[in-house]
Amino acid sequence: MTQESSSNPQFTGASRYVLDEELAKIVNISMALEMPLLLKGEPGTGKTMLAHAISESLNMDLIVLNVKSSMKLVDALYQYDTLTRLNDSRFGDSTRNVSNIEDYIKMGKIGQAFVSDKRVVLLIDEIDKADTDFQDDMLDVLDQMEFDIIEIDKTIRAKHRPVIIITSNAKKDLSDPFLGRCNFHHIAFPEPDMMRRIIRVHFPDIEKDLLNHTVTAFYRMREFRGVEKKPATRELINWIRALKADPDFKIKDLAKGNIPFLGVLFKKSPDYAVARNSVSRMRL
Amino acid sequence: MFTKFFYLLKEVGIPVSPTSFLRLQKALDNGLITTLDDFYTAARTILVKSERYFDLYDQVFAHHFEGAELEKPAPFELDEVAQAMLEQWLRDPKGVADALGMDESELNRMSPEELLQYFLDRLKEQTEEHHGGHKWIGTGGTSPVGHSGFHPGGMRVGGISRNKSAVKVAMDRRYRDYSQEGPLTQAQMGEALKRLRNMVPVGPKDEVNIDETIYQTMKNAGEIEIVFERSLRDRLKVILAIDNGGWSMDPYVSVVQTLFNYARAQFKELKTFFFHNTIYDYLWEDPARFRKPVKVDDLARLDPETRFIIVGDASMAPYELMAADGSIHIEERSMKPSYERLRFIAGTFRYSVWLNPKMAQEWPYTRTISMIRDIFPMFELTIDGLEKAVAYLMRSN
Repeated sequence: MTQESSSNPQFTGASRYVLDEELAKIVNISMALEMPLLLKGEPGTGKTMLAHAISESLNMDLIVLNVKSSMKLVDALYQYDTLTRLNDSRFGDSTRNVSNIEDYIKMGKIGQAFVSDKRVVLLIDEIDKADTDFQDDMLDVLDQMEFDIIEIDKTIRAKHRPVIIITSNAKKDLSDPFLGRCNFHHIAFPEPDMMRRIIRVHFPDIEKDLLNHTVTAFYRMREFRGVEKKPATRELINWIRALKADPDFKIKDLAKGNIPFLGVLFKKSPDYAVARNSVSRMRL
Repeated sequence: MFTKFFYLLKEVGIPVSPTSFLRLQKALDNGLITTLDDFYTAARTILVKSERYFDLYDQVFAHHFEGAELEKPAPFELDEVAQAMLEQWLRDPKGVADALGMDESELNRMSPEELLQYFLDRLKEQTEEHHGGHKWIGTGGTSPVGHSGFHPGGMRVGGISRNKSAVKVAMDRRYRDYSQEGPLTQAQMGEALKRLRNMVPVGPKDEVNIDETIYQTMKNAGEIEIVFERSLRDRLKVILAIDNGGWSMDPYVSVVQTLFNYARAQFKELKTFFFHNTIYDYLWEDPARFRKPVKVDDLARLDPETRFIIVGDASMAPYELMAADGSIHIEERSMKPSYERLRFIAGTFRYSVWLNPKMAQEWPYTRTISMIRDIFPMFELTIDGLEKAVAYLMRSN
């Protein structure tokens, strides 16, 4: 065991992702314990990005399962393409063998992660969108690392246990059995210091003044009351990109409370109106 | 190892499971945890499953490993506790008086403000001995036990008395959000509500109807004819309007929470609104009834097939329902009596019901209940009542 854990890859961060030490520990522990890691946190805290970063830094392939509300578990495992088979049986001009059902089984995202020859990172994104049955059933599959394909009476076992990252926006509470089988971490919205580091990763040559002013203004604007969707990291990055692209923009404007491109930050029209109003009263 | 820590977590109310504790042991055995910092992070990620408990976890951790004091309650927490005590006292004056070592009659003579101040003072001097003892008061105070309360001293502090028409609510705990916590979905309630759905075909025709395909293929003498259909989805729209105001609803908090939690998980298209006692010009989307008002007039634009469910005890002073300016909230001035408003809603949505957490045999004793029953069909907020309400909402005519 010790040998294995010492040879285990350790996750330390990636080129476009600023990782805090605590989260790195959590990821490493979850990988060592072979437990799915459930990440919660408000949008824009980098839940999804974490999985991308892990796959990049450990050099593993990333398989993303985007959960939809209407999704059934079997969709994520495999699909039996009856229609193609019917078509083939009628016209018979394909290379597939019509009497062999296995030729018509396509793997879903979880199936792909199981049959992959290398260890992969499996990201199950926005699990909270699906109903509780889906969640519980899926955890069974991930627990046992195998599932049956009923049509051909075959059991698919995972060749390598994937690194599983599950994200949730917490619109609904997840069920207890589900939580019981995951490790849990809540990513808080980054502090201004952390945010500056994140911005520097994305804009390595950003001027200090611009960085400080935009970040300060950004956190002020997050405080606006009555805003439904607060601007998040993604909005801030896009906003800075917009500011940098605008030749007429001067940093002094920000200090005067003159905020251009508000629409980049506030994307809902009532929010935009509220922000417009509050900005005029804002002084940095 | 660390069994004491585990039980301490359990004691303060963090739901930790033995399985996860074993998992933590495994992590320790495997040498994954080498420092106390590691342990802090690992134990939290493995044991604690919700950010709601992170703060509590921090306190327990510090207390256990650093020998730090469990934090003394901040002033605003004391306010909460004092208020909870006041609530407790309304229900059970003798018990609280005994606990404080006071004569009940002495407390009865105080005004609510004096009483609150008195509780606060007592709490401040007592925090040393109490040590998180505020927890039992807190939970005991907010858990909606019995409702046989009366007003000692005849004060109009809240509406816990039988008549439930306290004219102004003294301490409106407006920030109690039913969605935050509460018992888990009760399977029973799920059963009752399961029939509340309306399956309609929607979306692109992308589902193969096997039976029909075979039939049509046969008719075509073996020439394949594939029949597609739209898939069935539940498209039932539900509006849930909850009375979360004042004290009169307090005893029913847990049952309303259950309903709310269930509804949130069950219905795809669910709107939730809040109101206090009855509906005037506005409903609110936020439980504090403060930030996001919605004009009742605007409801007319919604799909009239929407199922409109009101949850409330329908108990108030008659003028609140009938007077043109009946709201007990000063900021809420309206020119139309609530009675008209309710009739407007009932007229807009032909599938609407009123769920009342009070038992049906109590209904005839409150005038406003009978008046509201003229407008909405009223059902008990029980499993039986729910089933009847669902049957009514799903009736075909």
